[in-house]
Amino acid sequence: MNRKLLFVLALVLIFCSHSLSQTGTKQRRPLPYEFGRVVLNNYSEKADLSPVVFEHWIHRSKFTCRVCHVDIGFAMKAGQTGIKAADNERGYYCGACHNGKMIADGKPVFAACSNRRLSYGDQKQCDRCHSLGKKVASDFDFFAFSEPLPKERFGNGIDWEKSEAIGLIKPAAFLDGFSIPKHFLAAQKDFELNSKVEGMPDIIFSHKKHTVWNGCELCHPEIFMGVRKGNSRYTMVDISEGKSCGVCHVTVAFPLTDCQRCHTKSVQP
Amino acid sequence: MLKRGIALMLFMGLVAVIGGVYAIGEPASSETQTAPAQEAWQAEFDDICSRSQNAMTFSQQELADLIQRCDVLMPKIEKLDETRKKVYMGRLRMCRGLYAYVLESKENQKK
Repeated sequence: MNRKLLFVLALVLIFCSHSLSQTGTKQRRPLPYEFGRVVLNNYSEKADLSPVVFEHWIHRSKFTCRVCHVDIGFAMKAGQTGIKAADNERGYYCGACHNGKMIADGKPVFAACSNRRLSYGDQKQCDRCHSLGKKVASDFDFFAFSEPLPKERFGNGIDWEKSEAIGLIKPAAFLDGFSIPKHFLAAQKDFELNSKVEGMPDIIFSHKKHTVWNGCELCHPEIFMGVRKGNSRYTMVDISEGKSCGVCHVTVAFPLTDCQRCHTKSVQP
Repeated sequence: MLKRGIALMLFMGLVAVIGGVYAIGEPASSETQTAPAQEAWQAEFDDICSRSQNAMTFSQQELADLIQRCDVLMPKIEKLDETRKKVYMGRLRMCRGLYAYVLESKENQKK
């Protein structure tokens, strides 16, 4: 009898530990100035440098997603680009803008650090980006930057779309030497995605909003490969794991907690 | 007198040739040879990928032609230095992927 009880208890224990390992621990929600932050450490620590801390909020206020993720060629997943200091020195990736020559806000954009032997001054230069765990002064203060912008509840706490619409930010869609002059963008029609949960409003997917900032090739076919509408099934579990919409809407664009931004259609009576 | 003049001219010519070779130096590496915009592969790349925004308006034949041009360009980009190969192979794959995606979508519509 005791043996049977022990066996059942052991089974329950195994089942519970398996379930807990599936759910993991609850992650802390990033603060507004942390949202969109990416830490890059492909080669940094191997070169005795701190990992790079990249802030999306300041960069997205200056350029559309497409400029960096299509024209310059940054991958959509952190660490997948495999940027090396030599790439930056040659004027690619971060070095496309961080070259000491480009002028932004009336002053040159600081140059990315190089592969060469570091002096004390160079080390300080490197620390501007290789800053994980360091207190590094930035030219931009998040609170001063975001103060005049329209507010949102989640993510950076900024309504980026509205900020652009009313002219408070002007993300450039073209970067000399990288972007290709394009013909006008024939945006596809918006379409409806039916919610699978009863009572949950359907999604109106706005092609227009997405193509203005992203273009076409950023999403198709890499992120959205289904060709025929209705053939691909999107679940919130997949999305929250960073698939489909979740490639952007988990880490950088407004997050999944902001349900009404996508589930916009009124519920049918 | 004439012989001396000819010898002097030959000598000066030789000096000029040697000096010129030193001044020019070794052939430049592929990274510094020409600005990217001036290279033939880049012009072809720009032309192919500049059309991505209008992909939905192209006929199936036009899309197939663009895909074929991507395939012809790929080996040329493979030969570039490490950085440019990484950047432009990624970008070309995106353009090719989009054209193939739209072509498939159009083929499906006809079925």
